[in-house]
Amino acid sequence: MAGCFKMAGMRWSVVRSFQTFCISPNISESLCCLFQQVRLKHQNYPRLRNPIWFVKKERTKYEEHLTQQNKSFIRDVVHDKYGGPPAIIGGVSTYQQSPLKIQPMDRGSWFLGCRRSGLIARNIGIYPMWLKDGTRVLTTLLQVVDNHVIRYIPPEEFNPPRTSVRNPKSKRRLGCLLVGAESADPQNFTKEYCGLFKDSGVMPTKILGRFLISPEAVMQPGTPLYASHFKVGDYVDVRGKTIYRGFQGVVTRWGFKGGPASHGVTKTHRRPGNIGSGGEKARVWPGQKMPGHMGNRYRILNGLQVLRVNTKYNVIWVKGQGIPGGTNSIVYIYDTFLPLRKPKEAPHFPTYYPEDEEPLPDEIYSENLHPFTAPTIKYEENV
Amino acid sequence: MLRRIGMNLRKKPFAEITVQCRCATLQGNAEAKHRRSLLFTKEKERQQKNIGRIEKIEVQYVGTPEDVTLMMNKGISTPFNCAQHMSEMLMQRSALALIDDTTLWDMNRPLEADCQLRLLHFRDSDPYHVNKAFWRSCSMLLGALAENVFRENIHVDLHSFPSPTVKTGSFVYDVNIGLDNWQPVQDELRIMSAQMVNLCQKNLKFERLEVNIDLALEMFKDNKYKTEQIPHIASQISDRKTVVLYRVGDHVDLSRGPMVADTSFVGKCTVTAVHKIETNQGILYRFQGVALPKGFLLNHFAYGILEDRARKLNPGRLPGAPSNISDMFQPTSEAMSL
Repeated sequence: MAGCFKMAGMRWSVVRSFQTFCISPNISESLCCLFQQVRLKHQNYPRLRNPIWFVKKERTKYEEHLTQQNKSFIRDVVHDKYGGPPAIIGGVSTYQQSPLKIQPMDRGSWFLGCRRSGLIARNIGIYPMWLKDGTRVLTTLLQVVDNHVIRYIPPEEFNPPRTSVRNPKSKRRLGCLLVGAESADPQNFTKEYCGLFKDSGVMPTKILGRFLISPEAVMQPGTPLYASHFKVGDYVDVRGKTIYRGFQGVVTRWGFKGGPASHGVTKTHRRPGNIGSGGEKARVWPGQKMPGHMGNRYRILNGLQVLRVNTKYNVIWVKGQGIPGGTNSIVYIYDTFLPLRKPKEAPHFPTYYPEDEEPLPDEIYSENLHPFTAPTIKYEENV
Repeated sequence: MLRRIGMNLRKKPFAEITVQCRCATLQGNAEAKHRRSLLFTKEKERQQKNIGRIEKIEVQYVGTPEDVTLMMNKGISTPFNCAQHMSEMLMQRSALALIDDTTLWDMNRPLEADCQLRLLHFRDSDPYHVNKAFWRSCSMLLGALAENVFRENIHVDLHSFPSPTVKTGSFVYDVNIGLDNWQPVQDELRIMSAQMVNLCQKNLKFERLEVNIDLALEMFKDNKYKTEQIPHIASQISDRKTVVLYRVGDHVDLSRGPMVADTSFVGKCTVTAVHKIETNQGILYRFQGVALPKGFLLNHFAYGILEDRARKLNPGRLPGAPSNISDMFQPTSEAMSL
């Protein structure tokens, strides 16, 4: 929400920061990041209306004293019910169960300006790749682990407590698509949390994320989402929760220069120095950069190019590093909102369905990217 | 009741007579239950008074924490009293007693002679008999539930329950409700489960009493099925012309085998289904449920598997059908083959 108020002739628009609540589970809003410096105006507001998926997730684990036979029997029942074991069993396998059959829901068609679902992925690391002209680029690997559509809430029913910052009463009505990632043993969760997944027929997932989509992009609950949802060469926005750095000083947090290390400087090596100017406005301005808690906030990196996609392990290589959260953290990938980076052709809409398309090769490289398996780039040196 | 109608015929018009007849059956269920309980109490007190001079018996307790010899009162002291003399742990965890390594004994049943006593609990290495007793007790509780849960205008007649088999996945009670086609909704099953849980939380003891056939027939005169069963059961138990009754709360029922000490041993329990069965005794409803003993923790998913199994029609003996081999499971220790 943007608030404007006049102060003795000056107009100061203070924008409320994009806050996170530590108590909330892995859901956050998919609002765009603000380019301006975010300054806190108000205290954290209490949540007015919690989403329906805000239920107690983890249950108290107790010793059940089940025999080995019983434990394997329950595992078999889980397999039979969901068509396969949970995605993460200490390995990196995904989609071991076959996807659901063709859904009866009508699929919409893509049009300019529509929004489709994103993906929930895990940042599994960074390594360099080379373009065909020899340029070295650092790429981040994002693995899409066992994404399934859980539920769809149409725009008429969807009523979040905090709406868009820029356009509070936007005419464009977006529905809410709940997507789950990384299925796990239902015995580890509470019954209420497992109840969220009942209609979709999907095994309960560890991570539950939300994407605001156009109603045309709706998908049947239970639809699996693959890395091929994004095409090579497309641009994506990646949202992640930044690494928590704790209470940090002004040098780390805001990049102040501090003071000289020597030359008789007394106890002023990393201090902020002056925090205000005199005169008529002789006070500390709201939003003055000071030490405080740093990190553990959702931040979005815009316009990352997809260089490579692996369809076997569902990994997406994006150009760039420093994706919020660091290695092994969960990120949300969206189609970019940057106007000059939007795709020229229609993307897979509402998502990539393997049964509808020709089978894709295991590795798909961008045109200008040099695959490691290809022969070395050779060029003639001008003598 | 017949006499009453005869008297009214002279004084009151026909419509009123029929109304009065119906009223008699309307209150029949609750009244009959209360009457049965009163008769049970009276008989129990009479039997206790008949003991006369208190004799002492020597009870050799064998088991944890140590073997002990107790001097108890003949015909008055129960295995539970023996446990009270020994330790709180034995009091709380013992669900069933074993006399002379041969006879299963209820915890609240008075001891008759010098004997060797073992107290059985749910975490034994071979809890076969405790499990069976638990299943039997749950069946009886289902019967108690069936009598209480319906509206007053519905006349409930309990038929019986087959010999308990834990392997079937559910405990059972066959009831005649008098409704033609009743299929309980999920919410109704939940209500029944909640009532069963309430009943169990009252920590009611299972009281055992051996009564004459005549008294038993008097107690169950309103129930046509029990009236048929009583002479049949009595002939099976030696020549004493007695039947064994159990009471829990104010519900009295016929049952042969031992029950657990009290309802506090029932932990998680659910009434899972009610199946309509057609028998030569008419249309009956088979109430089915599943329960875990108290202290046995299980996550919701695994318990859900048990509930799903208990929803299927229990293959136990149908009322009126000839009895088959009641259970196929053989206990591990030979001493326990009963």
